[in-house]
Amino acid sequence: MANGSASAHPLAPNPVLDPGHNFNSIGDKINAVVLTPKFRPGWVLGLLISFGLLNVLLVSVAWTIFRGVGVWGINIPVGWGFAIVNFVWWIGIGHAGTLISAILLLLNQKWRNSINRFAEAMTLFAVACAGLFPLLHMGRPWFFYWMMPIPLPQALLPQFRSPLVWDVFAVSTYATVSALFWLVGLIPDFATLRDKAVNPIVKRLFGVLSLGWRGAASHWHNYEMTYLLLAGLSTPLVVSVHTVVSFDFSVGVIPGWHATIFPPYFVAGAIYSGFAMVLTLAIPTRAAYNMKDFITDRHLDNMAKIMLATSLMVSYGYGSEVFFAWYSASNWEKYMMFDNRMSGPYMFFYWSLIFCNFIVPQLLWSKKVRTNTVILFIISIIVNIGMWLERFIIVVTSLSRDFLPSSWGMYYPTVWDFGVYFGTIGLFLTLMFLFVRFVPIMSAFEMKLLLPESKVKGGHH
Amino acid sequence: MEITANYNPPDSGPAARKFLALGVIGLIVFGIGYTVNKTQFYNSYLLAYIFWTNMALGALMLTMLQHLTGGAWGVVSRRILESATRTLWVMVPLILPILFGGMHSLYEWTHTDVVKADPILIAKAPYLNETFFIIRTVAYFVLWLGLITLLNRWSAQQDKSLESAVPATKSMRWISGPGLIVYALTMTFASVDWMMSLDPHWYSTMYPVIFVVGQVLGTFTLLIITMVWLSGREPMSKYITKAHIHDLGKLMLAFVMLWAYVSFSQFLIMWQGNVAEETPWYMIRKKDGWQYLAIVLFVFHFALPFLLLLSRDLKKNVRKLAAVAGLLMFMRYVDLFWLLRPRNEWMFEKAAEAHDKSGHVFGPHLTHSFTWMDFAALIGFGGVWLGFFLLELKKRPLLPVNDPNFEEALNHVGH
Repeated sequence: MANGSASAHPLAPNPVLDPGHNFNSIGDKINAVVLTPKFRPGWVLGLLISFGLLNVLLVSVAWTIFRGVGVWGINIPVGWGFAIVNFVWWIGIGHAGTLISAILLLLNQKWRNSINRFAEAMTLFAVACAGLFPLLHMGRPWFFYWMMPIPLPQALLPQFRSPLVWDVFAVSTYATVSALFWLVGLIPDFATLRDKAVNPIVKRLFGVLSLGWRGAASHWHNYEMTYLLLAGLSTPLVVSVHTVVSFDFSVGVIPGWHATIFPPYFVAGAIYSGFAMVLTLAIPTRAAYNMKDFITDRHLDNMAKIMLATSLMVSYGYGSEVFFAWYSASNWEKYMMFDNRMSGPYMFFYWSLIFCNFIVPQLLWSKKVRTNTVILFIISIIVNIGMWLERFIIVVTSLSRDFLPSSWGMYYPTVWDFGVYFGTIGLFLTLMFLFVRFVPIMSAFEMKLLLPESKVKGGHH
Repeated sequence: MEITANYNPPDSGPAARKFLALGVIGLIVFGIGYTVNKTQFYNSYLLAYIFWTNMALGALMLTMLQHLTGGAWGVVSRRILESATRTLWVMVPLILPILFGGMHSLYEWTHTDVVKADPILIAKAPYLNETFFIIRTVAYFVLWLGLITLLNRWSAQQDKSLESAVPATKSMRWISGPGLIVYALTMTFASVDWMMSLDPHWYSTMYPVIFVVGQVLGTFTLLIITMVWLSGREPMSKYITKAHIHDLGKLMLAFVMLWAYVSFSQFLIMWQGNVAEETPWYMIRKKDGWQYLAIVLFVFHFALPFLLLLSRDLKKNVRKLAAVAGLLMFMRYVDLFWLLRPRNEWMFEKAAEAHDKSGHVFGPHLTHSFTWMDFAALIGFGGVWLGFFLLELKKRPLLPVNDPNFEEALNHVGH
């Protein structure tokens, strides 16, 4: 093998950047989206629809605050309902962003470079949507600061043994670090935009955002260090957030919630739904902005593989719950699994969840499916739905039927539940539309690192 | 063929023979234990058996994982891992004494009179019965050995020429996905059968995950120690760089954290839930000295190695990294001891009572501490296992030259 090179091997992987690019073409192509003054009709239409949905959110939230959470379908016993389902769903979606930007960076996976900016933005917007739900669910959101351990006049302190309080710390820390990570990553690109902008107001704006970046060697040194440290900090955070979310359920004693496997199983589910959402967003974006040479088929293939792997992990979780419900020989556990989830009033949703999260993703074993954008897009939507159903099943089936039949009760969402839920999708999409238009959706300099000419031969630099 | 010859391993034969001799002596001494206390004998047997078999099974998992994920660490480690997997053949006959002699001394649910008096065990009887237990264990070994045979055969085929490497590499990648599913499922049930059912009332969905994470961590300790040993000798000294060792150190750190994460999560959920079905498992582990072992585990299986492995300098220093790996390998044994040994005393008494009535003799009680039999079994099985591992290691070239990532892996500089 002395005279052969790695790329000569017939099984060597495809490049993560299509050939034919150089330092200038990459920067120009990415920045062109932001610096073009015109608005494309498709973008305007998409933004208008999303903005319409965002207004549904405004109306629904206003009504919820005005009349109280009673306008939702929540009741006793199902006190959590859509609010917590949606909270967990959105938080989970956010996790792929951190995974792609931080964990894949630490694992030295170069293909992340074209999707990380995009995925991080998705994280921020998803966390913003997630945060709304527990806030509204409190009933009196203007007292949100009671959740913080601060000296209040009535000498109230939060119950530190409650995972709901841990949630406050975990999610707010996660949101802060994710925002920092995203902004730090943007600094060099903001500086490029500042230098290229013609409009003086735009120039000024990007000038402020780029924090005086001049591209000096010392700037780059500090930048690389900060970025790596933030990646190291984000990695435990991403695990901790969904672990704490899983504790919200698992430390309770209700059958179907009290399972020790919940922490890793929730983290896997979060990554699963997050990658599904990245695909849902990346496939149309790369088609609309003709970015197929940057977000290549190999990217889609890799993300599809991660989706398949995480699908198998959550399916292991479902299977494990079924087996141990039987193995426990506990009447409550068995009832919850076999008589309630599998054949109770919500059985349709349970089997839909198995269909969406376990059966459909098995198609991803085929390379043809993984590289067919249309099918992959459809599967990603199905997985998004499946992961929402999973949280619905966990929250609703367990709460609606606990140990005492006399305390059972069905849960039916109201129009305001759907209003808030679809409204947050509007908020999320509105922010995404603004993001792809006004911020470079890829990190130009990180893309340039993928060029063959920026490779420094090992050990000689 | 001259190319692969460059990567031929150093002669590990003399070391292997020493380990084998030590193992045989250990096993002979351990055999005396059978005449002293049968219950203790089989409990020590199971512990040592699982500890060493885990090395081979964790290696199977990592072999398949690296086929799927790629990465320089996988290319340089693969032949060591494959050698470890092939030792599973030696462990096959050694499970027979448990299946056909030790089950009554280990598992309460094998005593029909005990089961009859216990509604929970009656409910579990379709799964927890001797015949099905044996069938399952045989099935696990058939599946594991099948995967090991195929992966090793294709790996040898990969060495022959660049042409034969293409289908061989494809085959190995093709089987690794389904192989990992088989691994996850068999490990789940094996951990329930061999370990969890020692306390037949208790259950935890996290338990198989803890078992697997611990198993893979154990394999990493072995891998790092072997790698460090090889990196000081021809031919690996020419190819293994600090970046490779550094990567393995990072992965070991990741598994140290993962182990702490899954173990602590299980504890927190059970402690806060405080349900009568689950807490007995922890109740017996918080008294009679077991609580101190738990603290030892926290400090030396997590806190200390975690803090040490955070240091980049330490991970790049082969000797220090090997020392941490050695500590962790020992702590893997302590962890298994903590999982397997503490037992619900009342269950034993109930079993003994039932036996007295039926005229059977139930052996003397299990000693709740580390005995000479544990030590002899650890040395005996360990000597045999390590001896065979070293014999397997010298059979094949240490690096897979025709691997698609081979060149890239050797040029790996890390960051």
